[in-house]
Amino acid sequence: MSREEILSQVLEMVAMSYKKDVSELSETTSFKTDLNGASVQMVALVSEIENELDVALMLADASACETIADLVTLIEEEM
Amino acid sequence: MSVIDRIFEKAKTNPQRVAFPEALNEKMMQAAYEAGSEGCIIPILVGNEDEIKKAISERGYKEDVFRIVDVNNEDYKVSLIEKYTALPETRLKEKALRRRMEDKLQYAMVMQAVDEADVTFAGIDYTTEDVLLAGQMIIGMKEGLATISSIGLCDIPGYEGSEGSLLAIGDSAVCTNPNSEQLASIAIAACDTVKSLLDWEPRCACVSYSTLGSGQGELIDKVTEAVRIANELRPDLAIDGEFQLDAAINPAVAEKKVKRESKVAGKANVVIWPDLNVGNVAVKLIQQFGHADAYGPMLQGFRKVVCDCSRSAPVSELKGNIIISAVRAAGEKCR
Repeated sequence: MSREEILSQVLEMVAMSYKKDVSELSETTSFKTDLNGASVQMVALVSEIENELDVALMLADASACETIADLVTLIEEEM
Repeated sequence: MSVIDRIFEKAKTNPQRVAFPEALNEKMMQAAYEAGSEGCIIPILVGNEDEIKKAISERGYKEDVFRIVDVNNEDYKVSLIEKYTALPETRLKEKALRRRMEDKLQYAMVMQAVDEADVTFAGIDYTTEDVLLAGQMIIGMKEGLATISSIGLCDIPGYEGSEGSLLAIGDSAVCTNPNSEQLASIAIAACDTVKSLLDWEPRCACVSYSTLGSGQGELIDKVTEAVRIANELRPDLAIDGEFQLDAAINPAVAEKKVKRESKVAGKANVVIWPDLNVGNVAVKLIQQFGHADAYGPMLQGFRKVVCDCSRSAPVSELKGNIIISAVRAAGEKCR
């Protein structure tokens, strides 16, 4: 799967988990400053990624990602 | 009878099933065995059946004290996965769940989530972070709460508070710098924890360096806002503040400083610190100068009781915390 394909799916999943419109999101969106999410939303996101992209992620690693681009890179590394 | 003895007696009246994913650890197995053979809990050892049976025999324990769950039993694993993925709050699907269940801690939590166990107890080999993260992934957080946190129960010689020498305090261990919403969650969860563990009617004070506006500033605003949120979310609970510590627990001081009706001022049995700096320093003060026994930290905020222990904990401390978590689980079922 290419990075673009992963990004496109991750953007959809972030939008769903954080209840945002996908058009508001991009690679540079910051989890902390832009999404202001709680850990419960990150749990939902990691679960979705594991289900849909068939990859195992550590919640701690995902939570350490600053931006959506960082998360996509982490997924690429784990695939 | 000390508070811990009372809790042990309470545990015996309704023993709960406690899953131990670190079953082979010598200290953990001994604590599970002692708690099980005294009738306080039903210990479930989770791991490789042959290895567990060998260790039980080598250590001279009676096997019938334990239930053993073999993580290699495919039929049982499939039944757990089916039940877990059918839960309404579940997010993980079969393949992802199966991968996570390779880890014994998460396997035990799946058992707990589907009511095959009442408590998961770990932390002697796993880190606190492992337990907290697995708890969030597999058990999930209690509806309406914004954070995982913890409380401790202090037995303070010479202290004559509204529950005798006992005082529940939180959070001194988990949530570092809670915002108002999180602070409200800590207070709410703490009330529920003391209710389920000790049958107390909680009177919860959110403390600060100010009593009802005697000081001003953002540190105080955070606490007053937390009290407002907590009261809005759970009007059934007595949560009040902001109070200084003395106004919270000392009736004479409360009479002077709190010039309005309060179910809590002067007689709080639960004290909530504004952040972890205060919480950690406070618990050390209580221990060092008050010579108190402090039980916990008891994790709270999960849908079901998850318990972490110190990796250096001696067997007696492990046993105490195992039994405390079992009594909490029994209490939560009654609520």
